[in-house]
Amino acid sequence: MKLYKKEGNIVQILSFPNETVEKGDYLLIEDGDVGKGLIVQVIDVQFANIPGILEELLRSLPDGGELIQGEDFDPLEIAPHITYIQDARLLRCKIRATMNNESLSPNSSWLPSRSQSAIKKLPIPTLLKMAKTTGELPIVLGGTKDSMLLTIDASSLDGRLNIVTGKKETGKSHLSKLLMLNLIRYGATVVVFDLNGEYTSLGMTSDEKRNAYHNKIHVLTPSQNFKVVLKQLNLHVLLSILIHALHLPGTSAREFRTIWRSLKERDNLTLHELGEAIRNSRCNHHVRDALFSRYYALLNSRFFTDNVAEAMLLNESLLKAKNEGGAIIINLRNTSSIDRQIVVEYVLGKLVELLTSWKLKAVFLFAEEAHLYLRETYWDDIVTRMRHLGIFTTFVTNQPNTIRENIYRQADNIFLFNFTNEHDLEVVSRAARVDAETVISIATDLPPRHCLVLGKVVKDFPMVVKVKALDIKTMGETRLFFKDTN
Amino acid sequence: MLIEQLAITTTPKYSFPQPTIDTSLPQRLIELSIHSLKHAQNQPFQLNQQFFQQSNNLEQIQTTRTQLQPIPLTPKQEETMVAAVDTSSIKIGETTKGMVIAVRGATIWKNRKYYRYLRFGPFIFHVTEENKKQVYTALQRAYLNSPYEHNHNGSPSLLQMPTRIASLLERWQQTMLSKTVTNGLILFDGSLTSGINGAPTQRIKEILDNARKKQNIVLAFSKMTSLRFNGYLITDIPINHKPPYLFKIADLKPKPPIVLLGDVYVAKLTKGNYAFRLDIDKQVPTEQKIEALEKLLGNDLLSQSYPETLRLAHILCTFTANEVIAMQHFIARKYDLKIINRPDMHRLLFGPFGKGETCS
Repeated sequence: MKLYKKEGNIVQILSFPNETVEKGDYLLIEDGDVGKGLIVQVIDVQFANIPGILEELLRSLPDGGELIQGEDFDPLEIAPHITYIQDARLLRCKIRATMNNESLSPNSSWLPSRSQSAIKKLPIPTLLKMAKTTGELPIVLGGTKDSMLLTIDASSLDGRLNIVTGKKETGKSHLSKLLMLNLIRYGATVVVFDLNGEYTSLGMTSDEKRNAYHNKIHVLTPSQNFKVVLKQLNLHVLLSILIHALHLPGTSAREFRTIWRSLKERDNLTLHELGEAIRNSRCNHHVRDALFSRYYALLNSRFFTDNVAEAMLLNESLLKAKNEGGAIIINLRNTSSIDRQIVVEYVLGKLVELLTSWKLKAVFLFAEEAHLYLRETYWDDIVTRMRHLGIFTTFVTNQPNTIRENIYRQADNIFLFNFTNEHDLEVVSRAARVDAETVISIATDLPPRHCLVLGKVVKDFPMVVKVKALDIKTMGETRLFFKDTN
Repeated sequence: MLIEQLAITTTPKYSFPQPTIDTSLPQRLIELSIHSLKHAQNQPFQLNQQFFQQSNNLEQIQTTRTQLQPIPLTPKQEETMVAAVDTSSIKIGETTKGMVIAVRGATIWKNRKYYRYLRFGPFIFHVTEENKKQVYTALQRAYLNSPYEHNHNGSPSLLQMPTRIASLLERWQQTMLSKTVTNGLILFDGSLTSGINGAPTQRIKEILDNARKKQNIVLAFSKMTSLRFNGYLITDIPINHKPPYLFKIADLKPKPPIVLLGDVYVAKLTKGNYAFRLDIDKQVPTEQKIEALEKLLGNDLLSQSYPETLRLAHILCTFTANEVIAMQHFIARKYDLKIINRPDMHRLLFGPFGKGETCS
């Protein structure tokens, strides 16, 4: 390999057919004279622009598009040299770091010698070792192209905002489960908004036996084993539900607050009494109607109850998870859009309450297709206020444009699966931790279950990994009409 | 340093009928090529991409009068093999003592509707003032059986060497075709003018004799000519006739030692602005000459008045820039020539006004 050109932070390297280099590979350009090396990543492999190549190709097809038949008497065997030159490749590489005495720095202000530099492939484990990506809490994500393990550290997910995205059936949920189970293994508290019930069997192996995580997975299904007693609700949590999920106007919210306080003073906070209080309220009849319609929405969700024995306390599950590590799966499958928003408002409100009072230290929140249940104002909350409170969110989506641009800008880690649509990639490439060229070039060629890892987990060295398999019962499979007809 | 010995073999699969093919020239080309390159080993090597065209020797021929009567042509579909020969040479670099050149030849033939080719080379030579005589004499001997036969100018200058070696290869290919094709049309690139450098009269006569013996007719197409009539280049003479046609340039008086072994015509074989000088073996009766042209029209594709078979021969022997790089790579690897970049004096002295040495 030979260093050919440098423009900005792009280096072009000439590679010959006997050197196997692919997109995503790392190369080390070592300049012995200055004792430094430039670490670059291949983001595109092109044919080298060899003079005369067009003539060469045209010459081979002059007979109406068919190859002209003939023999070459080539005693000096020049032909292999011609094909060698013809197949020369140009590697477009992005400068990632400078290596100086085994330590890395993001500096790329120097230029290695074009004539004297030696270029070689940099194995991923060597790079990871130099970048010090692994610590005391290793998470094996899977294998790299050269069959090496890619290990990240759980602490690099701590306090971070993560995005897992890619088109459907590429393995996003699988990676989320892998991250989640490893976080549980290290004693973390995880909350999952499970839109399709994919996470409910994480405690079971593929042959339906209990696995090591069985006792740490708590599946809460709203209106079934997850109900809330009105008495135990904080007014501000319920008001959040009413205002944000059920769009209660401000005047009506003020009236509701009066009713609630009155019932609470009388220790009479039940669903029945709440209904009666609204009915008997001497407020404007429009306000009363508004309150009534929200009251019935709460009632019909069957998420609220007066029966304490029926109520599964979220607090208990969370505190149990806090002590031993565990995941609370909020199963939102078969839950209507309104009910979903009610549940999410409740859970987030509760989490904030517990974190504010330091009853919980921190929570890793996994949100699948969050745009379907997260209200507008929460997006900003998540990257600012909630992160400081200790909610570290991982968004999982196959529609990257549903996540706001400011989320991408502030994302610390991005796990990117295949996208073929340029518009989708353009959205993802707005992330601050990566350049658009890398995203667009590498992500379009990712095979299923392969993920481009970007951000702090890999110390800003983008890496492609084949996500390792998990022995858990799969629940995220698409239901098929023709599956059993044969 | 020990140089890896290359396998020296001539092609085992020559696709023509093989009566008595003299393969001594290619054999000698390989030997000389390797021998000369061995002597170039470890020398600094200056890259050069200057192409040598097969230059038309200045023909000192006077035209007196000519019959400008066009002869109309009607394509004749009678199945006839069309074969063509062309060679090219290129200088691929300079050494401290001389230069490294490459030559290649291509033979194309069209039988029924398919084109086939046989390519010889590239043969790479390191030619110096010291070895040029030896190289050229050895090749001549291999081809003509005696050195300096009909060579009035001694060994060529160093700069002439690429075209002269290519000429030798081309004559050998023409000889092979004239001996192996039967009842066919053999197309040469250039004229049938002999007695000038690279075109010994005796040898061309032999080629034409061999061709006639096998009922072949040689048609030599010149892409450029210096022959003029009434101030016009003969190919530019306006003729009010619908192509295809040809007209004869009669009573040409070449100055000795130049000999015209063919009758000179101007052929306009398709519509458009292009016409070519066409030399047809003098010994062939006029009717057969015209019939040969008509068979060419009926058996080969013609684009811009030029036969496809000859065009392919040219295309297949021409060196592309890619091949030049590959040959430079080959000699640098195999013979350890150190590549240097000598500054272009024109650029150096005249800056943007210096157009490079090749354009001087």
